[in-house]
Amino acid sequence: MDFRRHRLDNGLRMLVLEDHTLPILSFQVHFAAGSRHERPGITGISHLFEHMMFRGTKRLGPEEFSKIIQARGGVVNAFTTQDHTTYFENVPAEELELVVELEAHRLKELQITAESLATEREVVRSERKMRIATSPFGAVIEELFALAYLRHPYRWPIIGWDHDIRRLTLGECLDYFRLRYAPNNAVIVVAGDVDPSRVLDLIQRHYGDLPPQALPEEAVEPDPPQRGERRAIFKKVAQLEAFFAAFHVPGLEDPDVFPLLALAHILSSGRSSRLWRRFVKTGRAAEANVMLDPPPFWPKDPALMVLYAVVAPRGSIGELEEGMWEEVETLREGRFEEGEVSKAKKGLRSSFLMRLQTLFFRGLLGGIYEIKAGGFEKAHDVLKGYEGITPERVQEVARRYLHEDNRTVVTLRPVSPEENERLGLLE
Amino acid sequence: MNLPFKPQDLVQAELPSGAKVLALSYRKLPLLYVVLMLRRGAEGDPEGEEGLADLTAEALTFGTREKGPEELVLAVERLGASFSASSGWDGSFLQLSGLSEDLEELVELAREIYLEPSFPPEEVQRAVERRVARLVKSRDEAERVADELIWKEAMEGTPYAHPTYGTLSSVNGLNREKVQGFYSDNYTPKDTVLLLLGNEDPEALLDRGKGVLEGWQSSSAPSPPKGMPSASQGRKIILVDRPDLTQSQIRIAFCGLSRKDGRYLAFKVMNYILGGGGFSSRLMQRVRSERGYTYGIRSTFHPLGIPGPLIISTFTPTESTASALEEVLRTVEEFSREGPGEEELQEAKSYYRGNFPLRLETPTQLAKEVLELELYGLPLEELSSFPERVGEVKAEEVIAVAREFLSLDAFRAVVIGRVEAFEEAFKGLGSVEVRSFEDVSA
Repeated sequence: MDFRRHRLDNGLRMLVLEDHTLPILSFQVHFAAGSRHERPGITGISHLFEHMMFRGTKRLGPEEFSKIIQARGGVVNAFTTQDHTTYFENVPAEELELVVELEAHRLKELQITAESLATEREVVRSERKMRIATSPFGAVIEELFALAYLRHPYRWPIIGWDHDIRRLTLGECLDYFRLRYAPNNAVIVVAGDVDPSRVLDLIQRHYGDLPPQALPEEAVEPDPPQRGERRAIFKKVAQLEAFFAAFHVPGLEDPDVFPLLALAHILSSGRSSRLWRRFVKTGRAAEANVMLDPPPFWPKDPALMVLYAVVAPRGSIGELEEGMWEEVETLREGRFEEGEVSKAKKGLRSSFLMRLQTLFFRGLLGGIYEIKAGGFEKAHDVLKGYEGITPERVQEVARRYLHEDNRTVVTLRPVSPEENERLGLLE
Repeated sequence: MNLPFKPQDLVQAELPSGAKVLALSYRKLPLLYVVLMLRRGAEGDPEGEEGLADLTAEALTFGTREKGPEELVLAVERLGASFSASSGWDGSFLQLSGLSEDLEELVELAREIYLEPSFPPEEVQRAVERRVARLVKSRDEAERVADELIWKEAMEGTPYAHPTYGTLSSVNGLNREKVQGFYSDNYTPKDTVLLLLGNEDPEALLDRGKGVLEGWQSSSAPSPPKGMPSASQGRKIILVDRPDLTQSQIRIAFCGLSRKDGRYLAFKVMNYILGGGGFSSRLMQRVRSERGYTYGIRSTFHPLGIPGPLIISTFTPTESTASALEEVLRTVEEFSREGPGEEELQEAKSYYRGNFPLRLETPTQLAKEVLELELYGLPLEELSSFPERVGEVKAEEVIAVAREFLSLDAFRAVVIGRVEAFEEAFKGLGSVEVRSFEDVSA
């Protein structure tokens, strides 16, 4: 992956990756604007603002931006994470100038009004209900994060608390936009069938006059080390009991990321994995899995590795959880099956290569490393990281992170609709 | 237009047994993708045994004459490869993907799994139990229950009127004998297509593929009749009570077309303008962007071996349920009356033309398109001629399908939510039936 980096005088960074295999390109703008840049009271502002970026400019009506790109055959969207917000257009190569011009235009002449904010606030509340309130486990996982983190902004959901979504003001949105969407807080990626010198010219022409902003010093408060297990029960209408257990693990740039991914792979990837064979195959769990995002999506700051299981009908949640910890204990003791670690290494490498098939993913890989880990060059270390995994390192990280004092567990306890009513409806 | 593949990279052969082999070269990354497709899917499920085709497909991966269940899984996963098998409506698919350095082993594994499955009784029994557990768990997903119910209503009277993975009562009755029976009756060379996609010369891949299926002989069963959906008449609205939900799921189904229908592209363009085209669609514009009723709304066209439905899906907070449904119906009514505007039509067509290379960027995307044509007996040339043909779709063709199929006199609707909050408002919309959540998710 041969990205070339350039920087404009206003601090805007750009990465260009040439690939002429197909007449297409992926254009991406990454802003260091995620839920970690929020504070209590304005949770969800990064995500809400992502929506507002599609609500029109002085020249374009609401959603017209997307319509124009789609009418050229393009795919346009955006997503907000804990660490950044990303806008992208995957388009035929001949549309390069159009997307550069349109993306720069909405930064310069975005038009947001009290009316459009009011409509979009309702859209986001509907999205929150979909992701959290009416999803089988969304509210449980929300509680898990809020319990596992005491101080760090990862404790609130990316979409924000419902109360904050209802309350956010136009002024707060505009302040956030001015600072967080400054050129010196952004990385542009262009990957595909392009001529790099033309890309530079276009970006200089359209983005060069954006003024940089004095960015506030980062004030993210780290969580203190956990000093003992935390537990909670969450009641809602559900068919089956489940538990979700979070362990604190380090952030993206730590070398322990790779053996931890191997650990997750050994536990939960494929039908030769431990959780599948022990719990799912035998009918003890309806589902048993590990949640851990691979690079570049792994969070910037210390993250959570979540092990969870949903009990099978007539099964026992207590036995299921006990069984899970027995399995973890064998990893802590370094009891691997023959070929288990090398299978994980090969599986991680193969799924990484699969993802590299699209220009979109290659762009994300470079762009996200650049915006949250200080440089796309670190993306080159991913395959090396997988190569360097050894049974000793896997055991070492199992011992370091998968222990009781570092654990937070939330158990989902099903209740009747009547009891649910008594507890109050989920918003 | 630049094509994402060269036509000479795709080669095919038919064996004397009737089996077909396709090979496609992909030289960008060292990957290999193998698919064995059977032209028989969940529409072939015997009555009362819904989910059998899908279970049989999965059971292929439980072991072979030579390899026990654990041994087979390890043989695949130690290569860093993955495999899975499942049934769609009209076809069943066994897929293996891995690294091209393991081509020999992966191709041989695919052969063994497809031609020599052993269906170990204990494994099949456990799979039935897992499926039951998953079905119980999925009752918590109101969106899924809504999808299943609207599908059942839309396809009533055809062999398609059930979920591909079956229902709680049908899956409970499945066993090894039935799986073995389905396999013997349906897995025949005549109905099998093998696709190999890798970074080798296409002819070399084709030879390799022929080697896999050569010598396989078996008698062919006649294809069962597929039936036709009964033309739905009148409006039917089903409200399902889930008082704990603060957001309702809404589905509306209209009759559509089969994949082979000559009006397929006109219908596709029509659907894009109505609700398939994201932010360019009328439904998104009206229901989300102007009213803020929902985060998501779309219409999806499901072409099948027989006419498949067009289904509108959305969700909205309890308090806006009736208004959202009314807005959707108003939008549909206007569209079917007026047809698309010239600009909308041009935008939809240019979307499909421009999006063509993006849609075929990866080998799996390419394989999916090739197999769909093969499954419905359409010429493979349709893949490369797609941009041209979609460009030729005429306004009157789009208007004709909108008028014929989007009639507010004939649709099915399902709403799952806190019924007491909106039941009254639905009274004027036609025949309304209220059902309990337990009934519809059994």
